[in-house]
Amino acid sequence: MTDSDHSRLGASIDKILRPTISLSGVTKQFGPDLRALDDVSLEVYPGEVVALLGLSGSGKSTLLRLLDGLHLPTSGTVQVLGQDVGTARGRELRALRRKVGFVFQQFHLVGSMTVLENVCTGALGSLRGPRFGLMSYPKSVRLAAMEQLDRVGLADRPFQRADTLSGGQQQRVAVARALIQKPRILLADEPVASLDPESSAQVMALISRIASEDSLTVVCSLHQVDLALSWGHRLVGLRGGSLVLDKPVSQIDKNETMSIYSAVEPVSVGQPV
Amino acid sequence: MTLLTNPPRSTLPRPTWQTVSVNVILFGLFAASLWAVADLKINVATIIDSADNAVSFVGRIFPLDFPPIGELVTMTAQTLGIVLLATVLSVILSMFVALAAAHNTTPGTALRWGARAIIVVTRTIPELVLAILFLRLFGLGAVAGILALGLHSIGMVGKLYADAIEDTDPGPRDALRAAGASWWQQIVGGVFPQAMPAFVATALHRFDINLRASVILGYVGVSGIGLELSGALRTMNYQRGMALALFVVALCIVVELISGALRKMVLGDQAPAHRTIWTRMREKVATAQNGWLDRGAAATSEARARTAAARTADGNYRVSPPWTGERIRRTIYVVLFALALVFATWGAQIDLSRMADGFGSMFNTLSLFFPPGTGGIGSELWEQLLVTVQIALAATFIGLVVAVPVGLLAARNVAPTPGIAKGFRIFIVAVRGIPDLIFAIIVIVVTGLGATAGAIALSVGAIGLLSKLIADSVEETDVRVQQAVLAGGATRMQVLIGATVRQSGPAIVAHIFYQLDSNIRAATLLGVVGAGGIGFYLMNAARVMQFDVVTMVVVMIFVVVMAVEGLAIWVRRAIS
Repeated sequence: MTDSDHSRLGASIDKILRPTISLSGVTKQFGPDLRALDDVSLEVYPGEVVALLGLSGSGKSTLLRLLDGLHLPTSGTVQVLGQDVGTARGRELRALRRKVGFVFQQFHLVGSMTVLENVCTGALGSLRGPRFGLMSYPKSVRLAAMEQLDRVGLADRPFQRADTLSGGQQQRVAVARALIQKPRILLADEPVASLDPESSAQVMALISRIASEDSLTVVCSLHQVDLALSWGHRLVGLRGGSLVLDKPVSQIDKNETMSIYSAVEPVSVGQPV
Repeated sequence: MTLLTNPPRSTLPRPTWQTVSVNVILFGLFAASLWAVADLKINVATIIDSADNAVSFVGRIFPLDFPPIGELVTMTAQTLGIVLLATVLSVILSMFVALAAAHNTTPGTALRWGARAIIVVTRTIPELVLAILFLRLFGLGAVAGILALGLHSIGMVGKLYADAIEDTDPGPRDALRAAGASWWQQIVGGVFPQAMPAFVATALHRFDINLRASVILGYVGVSGIGLELSGALRTMNYQRGMALALFVVALCIVVELISGALRKMVLGDQAPAHRTIWTRMREKVATAQNGWLDRGAAATSEARARTAAARTADGNYRVSPPWTGERIRRTIYVVLFALALVFATWGAQIDLSRMADGFGSMFNTLSLFFPPGTGGIGSELWEQLLVTVQIALAATFIGLVVAVPVGLLAARNVAPTPGIAKGFRIFIVAVRGIPDLIFAIIVIVVTGLGATAGAIALSVGAIGLLSKLIADSVEETDVRVQQAVLAGGATRMQVLIGATVRQSGPAIVAHIFYQLDSNIRAATLLGVVGAGGIGFYLMNAARVMQFDVVTMVVVMIFVVVMAVEGLAIWVRRAIS
């Protein structure tokens, strides 16, 4: 039995046992007027690649940020890797965040830093004290960062300034920065929305390859249904903060794609809200 | 749709309370400036008189008497050491203050207001007054100067650092937070790298300012060139005094040229597109080499070649950056800086037990300064405060009168030819290179005219800064408006007044207030070197240890400066 067989078996056992991510009755309110999420319940099992669909403002980013404790739920519970994110504080919360990688739409790299140092900053959670400058990171961290850069195909330019790279390359650096955490979950908030179609395909292929290599659980928000259909195992749709769709991709046939558009987009009439 | 049945008779908007009072304020300032110019007797006759004075004085300063080179080097090292340590001290303290003051990094509202209060207070208390306090606490020498300059600098450095922190992109910090980094790790790893160019540029700029201010501190006993200079002038050894003054002017200009070049380099770092002749040559060599290797093969195997990582001899990844010219240069700067720091600390002879004693008696010493008192010369103090304000007003006014034409001619979009604009820009840079306070010392000593000389000396600084600000804000105006007015058949002058100046008016008014504000502070310091006004009384009070009067003077200046700033904020809001 190979390693990947093992992990697949492990994943299916875990699936029976307990979900990696579980939201129950989660509501998030910003101020008195803005309800970003409204009573959302959702379970994600180990190894699943979930594509989160919805227009901007539908609550996708809020949901992802709740999963990493970057926002706290107004009500309801958010459990990640068996831990309650809403009540975790300080050291405990940081330990949890270390197991969750996050990739952002705008990459969020420091442009004036080298590519390698940007990747190293992903390891801060497991280091003591602040770091400034590449050489302030232990050699083991720098080697691990190179390893991840190699995986995303950018090992030839570790000492280049990050802002000299193209958008697609920058996003791959950001993926490497998330991978150096050795996460068990990878969250991606519109990772390809700022990229051209070719780079988008590259980045999505990278995320999907890494998800299977490291048997990661992935939640990735997208606004293009075709991308979601080709990369996701399961589609989850949000609209106005409510869950309006939750279906494995295997159960969706070609004719149904239009109904997915209408489920997430408000133009349609007569769809459940 | 309705038509106006009663068309309004007036073509002007109904004057509001706000516009009326802004006009009253601006007119009042104008009138006060004219009065200040007249009252200080700044006119042709005075200038001719002072020219006579100067001629006879020049006879007494020649031959210039420079101290022996060894002494000169020692005092220069002392001054530079004090300025370096003061700037480093202010940078370190300002980092913390700025983190608390910036809205995106502050740990809490209370701390934020506390930090902002520190910024305002340190900026308002002149370094001279801090030096008087610290000299009393820690004795004569370098320590008092370092602390005085260092703490006063927080007012500017802390403010600019907070601005730089607020300007950073929150993204990288968010990413580090998401990766489980602690607060300090987020700040140092995600915020500081972005703000670093601004941090370094501000520190270099402050170094220049502190160097100029350190000379004034010599008047109250801080060691260095300023001490020797004030000593020479006090004993009427003008040959030595003027030699030192000229030396300081040269030193300031040299230091400013160096720090300006460094600043440009640090800020240029933000734009990787900037290519020097060297990078261009390297690129040429690189492309030539590629071609020489194998153009065809390089293209097909590009994808594979791209992912090949550099490895060390033992087959591991290479994880330390190569020693490029850039890295070598940066390392040399860091080493030089560290050496200078060590040398300065050693030279400052910081006596820790003396400092501990000083801190121990802090409370007692501070109690000497409170409550503020007038020392029985209250009315005189008010009169002298008025003189200081007069100096500031007159200097700003004269500066403005010269700066308007100079600034306009230096603006590319107003000057008749690009050559003229360039010429005036060079003129502005040259004027700005004159260290105003030291220049003022020379003018005051040479003409022997006190307040009048002070105003004229300060106006030189005002000409430099105001011309630059006017030229900049005129260049920032929307050219399309000017083109539209020009297309309507207006003359050049009409375009200038109606479109260009009209657009940059609010900015220029704001600059004038800023200049007035800094001139009031500078005029206070000029009193110390003999320009009259309240600064002179400040010095005297310190000398005869009437520390309550020192506090009184500080409070009076504070009130005036705050009033001007309040007025500035109000006017700016009303006209924008």
